[in-house]
Amino acid sequence: MDDRQVFGQPGVYTIRINGRLGPTARSAFPSMVSEHKGSETVLTGVLEDQSALFAVVAQIEALGLELLELREVGARPRLSPDPYEERNHP
Amino acid sequence: MTGNGRNDLRATALAPTEARHRRQTGNGRVPSSAAALAGMTGLAVTAEGKQPVAQGLLRRADLLAKLDQALTRKVTIISAPPGSGKTSLLRTWSESAAEEVRAAFVSVQRDQTDAQQFWLAVREAIHQSTDKTPERQTPVPAFDGDAEVARIVSELAEQSGPVVLIIDDLHELHSDEALLGLERLLADMPSSNRAVLSTRRDPRLRLSRLRLAGEVAELRANDLRFSEQETRDVLAASSISLSDAGAGALHQRAEGWAAGIRLAALSLRGHHDPERFVAEFSGTDRAIGEYLMAEMLGGQPREVRSMLLRTSIVERLNGELADLLASRSGSEQMLLELEDANAFVMSLDPRRTWFRYHHLLADFLRLELRRTSAGEIPDLHRQASRWFADHGHVVEAVRHALAARDWPGAARLVADHSFGWVLDGEAGTISAVLQAFPEGASADHPDLALAHAANELNQGRLEEAAAQLALAESHVQDVPPRRRRRLTVAIASLRLGLARRSGQFTEVIEQVNLLDASIADESNELNGMDDELRGVALLNLGIVETWSGRLLDAERHLSAGAALAQTIGRPYLEVACRAHQGFPSKLVTVAAARARGLEAVALAERHGLDDRPILAPALGAVAAMDLWMGEFDEAERWLDRAWQIAEPHIDPATAVLLHVTAGMLHAGRGQHEAALGDFTAAAQAQSLLTGVHTLAPLIAGWLAATQARLGMTEKASQTLDEFSGNPDHKGATHNARAVICMAVGDPDAALDALRELEDDDIPVFTLVETHLLAGLAHLSLGDRNAAAAAAELALAAAEPDRLLFSFAMTESAELVDMIRRHETAHGALLADILDLLRDGAAPSTDAQRSTAAEELSPSELRVLRYLPTNLTRPEIARELYVSVNTVNTHIRNIYAKLGANDRSTAVQQARELRLLSSGSSRTTG
Repeated sequence: MDDRQVFGQPGVYTIRINGRLGPTARSAFPSMVSEHKGSETVLTGVLEDQSALFAVVAQIEALGLELLELREVGARPRLSPDPYEERNHP
Repeated sequence: MTGNGRNDLRATALAPTEARHRRQTGNGRVPSSAAALAGMTGLAVTAEGKQPVAQGLLRRADLLAKLDQALTRKVTIISAPPGSGKTSLLRTWSESAAEEVRAAFVSVQRDQTDAQQFWLAVREAIHQSTDKTPERQTPVPAFDGDAEVARIVSELAEQSGPVVLIIDDLHELHSDEALLGLERLLADMPSSNRAVLSTRRDPRLRLSRLRLAGEVAELRANDLRFSEQETRDVLAASSISLSDAGAGALHQRAEGWAAGIRLAALSLRGHHDPERFVAEFSGTDRAIGEYLMAEMLGGQPREVRSMLLRTSIVERLNGELADLLASRSGSEQMLLELEDANAFVMSLDPRRTWFRYHHLLADFLRLELRRTSAGEIPDLHRQASRWFADHGHVVEAVRHALAARDWPGAARLVADHSFGWVLDGEAGTISAVLQAFPEGASADHPDLALAHAANELNQGRLEEAAAQLALAESHVQDVPPRRRRRLTVAIASLRLGLARRSGQFTEVIEQVNLLDASIADESNELNGMDDELRGVALLNLGIVETWSGRLLDAERHLSAGAALAQTIGRPYLEVACRAHQGFPSKLVTVAAARARGLEAVALAERHGLDDRPILAPALGAVAAMDLWMGEFDEAERWLDRAWQIAEPHIDPATAVLLHVTAGMLHAGRGQHEAALGDFTAAAQAQSLLTGVHTLAPLIAGWLAATQARLGMTEKASQTLDEFSGNPDHKGATHNARAVICMAVGDPDAALDALRELEDDDIPVFTLVETHLLAGLAHLSLGDRNAAAAAAELALAAAEPDRLLFSFAMTESAELVDMIRRHETAHGALLADILDLLRDGAAPSTDAQRSTAAEELSPSELRVLRYLPTNLTRPEIARELYVSVNTVNTHIRNIYAKLGANDRSTAVQQARELRLLSSGSSRTTG
């Protein structure tokens, strides 16, 4: 566990889900960008900390979706002074 | 999430009513489509035996057999994702269970954070499943989860047949306290009983001991998957004709996922081309849940779809609420039809008036509503909030007001109901609701700070409560005048509550006056205030008045509070008021005070509240009254009970009462060393109070007298000098002065000290003692006539209330023996006194006590056996199925009786007295 996790700093995550998500299911993950890859959906986005991450996982569970993979692809570079600014993209 | 309606809808008992049905259809669990069909159309009669409920559930014979197999173990965990058919399995199982099996079904409410609500639902379900008439469960403040679990364990032990406790949606339980309790329940419940825990995730329970013993079985997602045959059964039951290949393709695509197959069946029913539907479904790589949900909703008429979407914001609904949210009529009929069609809608009560959506459906509906009509959502929440508030479901009302971001509305709701919640002990609920407000909201809404304060106070966090109260006070002027008066009264009431818990009486005198005036003034706004606030105000006022000796005012307020509590159905409040009325005053005799104490105890027992600390003053009062009347053994039993329930969070004023009473008991028995300890403890507890406890003069007097009797005369004088501040109740200190003089061999000085008193000045309790001490002084001066006259005066003063105690405490045997030779007008009383002096006090002294330990009670002996082990007190409590408080009490008694100060000395003493076989490490049983 590196400092980033210890201090709960934001990280960029990709989440692979089985099946192509339609507009309703996608709207459950407003903070993440979703792409269809083959018969899977890949959600990518910045999650503020572990509790934001677990909220996404809980949402996947609640909708009966099948979680295939969850990966942190890197620390979010602290370029923007406002940590929330980048979360508003679709 | 329920308000005042509480658990009525959530605990559903499913009695073995299907047994009849089962016998008619052969022996039930033969895997056949006929049996499956019977299950699909079978009617389940509810526990109350009223309305039949169409279930439309598939009987999955193989799976039922698996569950039966699992139930040979004590605990079964069903852990699988949503839509796997967990609840359906449990329902069909309960309905077809053997007749002697009683299933108690508990559905954990969404996001349950309140341990008390959870346990009340569990207990209610158990009662409903057994023949026992369901007891009305009364939520109370200061809920004791440990005691509740112990109660459930003992109730299960009393059942003739085994109970299967089914807890569905366990993943919704977010209370560590409740989860810990559940661990204990699983470990401790009698072995004939079973528990089934159904959850989306593996539960956070430590079950290693049960696992090692082979007592845990699991059913997981794979076990719950539909077989291809079962998929065909579902289709057949819905009268869907599909080719073999089509059914196979559907099964494969849905991967046996129960919800997928049910959703597909719903869409297929009445579909003009089922084969094409299956082909499209199999061909798509959309996520199946979302795809099928969209198909299913798409197949519903537009008004049904709209009703479903707009009502998805509430956790539960009835026809009226659904009509309101959907702006239409006839919603109830739609809901009934959806449930009958097995379309992820389920009724919550036997009469089918309340419904909820399957969580999977609800989550999709909410997303869809947000996606398509986000603008309407706040208004829907506002309407729901108003409806719930109007119907008394306040917690739900607050949650919806918060969801609508209507902070002032939500704050007002919280303010108007926080006293009721506190009395219901919905601590977890209040905390959760309060946390939902944005940070800093308390500063804008003093009402919120007040609710925080009430909650903190109730949980015994006095400093936090004081801080929140100060915050509320600093914003009183910002509140509109209309509400300001109520806020002021609420603050005053909480100040008194805080004062009585922390013992700071002097600081709150102006609050007492303010409240007293407000309550006396019939015309003012207080009458328009919620009864809970008035009740709590009267209680707090009465308690502070009791302990500060204003007994007549206290009497007025506590009686009014108790009457109000009875009217509004708040037994806890009623018990709390009555528990403080067992004290004698100018209007209340000792016998009457004792009767009142007993009434409070009986009332508490009727409501199952007799283990609450608030009852301790009543128990202590009964003990004290027994002591005055010379019933020492009886008094000891009451006092033991008082300590058991009062600890460990005893408030200082109650502690003073119990220590004094213990001191009286020991002093009356001539055990002055022990009495010294008690009176010292009483004085210490009194020093925690900033005001003067009504018993303070007695404590100082008796402490000094006891010191003097033990030969510590200098120390005794010092004790009295330190207590010079209080001019009231001079009698007690004069008596003590006399005892000191006698102890140093100066009876003349003793008589001088007593002569300063006028009879009218002093309470009768003290007066009897005064006369006796004077008599003893005369006796030691050889003036037998004067001694006899003083003794006669003591008898006369003692007669009306039968106050025997002072005769024992002052060791007046010689004096009383002398009076027998004279004529007395108090023959019967004298006989009682002689009995008491002969049997009670005289023979037993400290010296004898230290050589031969008092007999240990059977329960103390049971605890004693664990002392040589390395088990901690909580572990001992667990072994014996009692609370830690009880163990603490027993251990304290054991130490006292064995004259030990710690565990190892106690063990050593016990071995010497052959109470333990030497070297025995642990005896169970």
